[in-house]
Amino acid sequence: MSECGDHCITCSDEGVAMEVERVDVRRGLALCLAPDGSKSTVEIALVEPVAPGDRVLVHAGVALTELSA
Amino acid sequence: MKYVDEFRDPELGRILATEILGAVEPGRHYKFMEVCGGHTHSIYKYGVDDLLPANVELVHGPGCPVCVIPMGRVDDGIALAKQGGVIFTCFGDMMRVPGSEGSLLEAKADGADIRMVYSPLDALRIAKQNPEREVIFFAIGFETTAPSTALTLKRAKAEGVPNFSCMCSHVTIVPPLRALLDSPDLRLDGFIGPGHVSTVVGARPFEFIPAHYGKPLVVAGFEPLDILQAIRMILAQLAEGRCEVENQYKRVVPYDGNRRALEVMAEVFELRPHFEWRGLGFISQSGLKLSDAYAELDAERRFSVPGVRVADPKACQCGEVLKGVIKPWECKVFGTACTPERPIGTCMVSSEGACAAYYNFGRFAREREVV
Repeated sequence: MSECGDHCITCSDEGVAMEVERVDVRRGLALCLAPDGSKSTVEIALVEPVAPGDRVLVHAGVALTELSA
Repeated sequence: MKYVDEFRDPELGRILATEILGAVEPGRHYKFMEVCGGHTHSIYKYGVDDLLPANVELVHGPGCPVCVIPMGRVDDGIALAKQGGVIFTCFGDMMRVPGSEGSLLEAKADGADIRMVYSPLDALRIAKQNPEREVIFFAIGFETTAPSTALTLKRAKAEGVPNFSCMCSHVTIVPPLRALLDSPDLRLDGFIGPGHVSTVVGARPFEFIPAHYGKPLVVAGFEPLDILQAIRMILAQLAEGRCEVENQYKRVVPYDGNRRALEVMAEVFELRPHFEWRGLGFISQSGLKLSDAYAELDAERRFSVPGVRVADPKACQCGEVLKGVIKPWECKVFGTACTPERPIGTCMVSSEGACAAYYNFGRFAREREVV
């Protein structure tokens, strides 16, 4: 998975491992922290429930799976 | 960094390379296809191929969604973008893909309102911010991106955003693999299976490859050790006479995929009877369109789209590259008329395209020296 480097954002097979910081359950969104320190709002409908501290694989603004330890 | 550093450990890489060397039969040539453009990118970025014995060859597959978009589809996008009052949104790399009369980037320079987005949700936000304009999202990608588009369309429908629509060019991974396996000019010994597509569809849909075509497949992650380990696992299958689907990327990929993602895709999309792939031609049931329930969000139904098929440029050999028949540097225009700055073929556009990966990581100069 990418660490937000020179990856192609269009590719179906690129994702970024992010850490959940805050969850908005009502809107189905979470504020997530990327490895490069940037934060973004992520759709979490496919991985709910998640909690702060959980790590998810994000592609094109959507968390696709929770990362196992 | 967790999940990254431990998969780039040079010492472990050397150990795996030694194991691979010990696992190959002398005199036998092995040809493995990495299906996904992400793997191609990693292989050249980290020099994974330099660690492999000379008789293990990696063939680059069709798994870069930018690279497989045909010119006619780009022309359709430009035609939509040039309609009055339209804001056309797409991922960055798509803007540089050449159509028959230029790219989306050139259309933008000519005055069309074309904007790069990182997610379909960004396109939806632009629609909400510009209620007097029609906002179209050019959706491309395999099953990893399709759920993102599907969720956005569900959200647009639920929130009643009337000025948002989608030009759907999503594709699915299994039909082109089947087409490649049926191709008489391609002989492979095994597959490195796509990692993040499998996050959504799981590893199970690839079981037909060992079952019907007798080729092992190992779903792999994108770090260098992931790829080396997957090659080691394929070689072990061949040495032990096994032929099955294995999952090297268990830390991310559940064997049965993400059920919720598959459900939302089934609700929003349906299969097209045929879809054209650059270099591979028309493949049955390989593309997605919006289902009737989402017809009002379908840009191809809301607007007039030319839908004209355009042949690829004669000099371009992206088709042979995508099928793994030739290496990028064997294309007549590679590195001369076709460069990342002025691409002729789509494989030179995306950073995950095989040609761009070769070019950007210095393969061009090296291969020329060898020749």
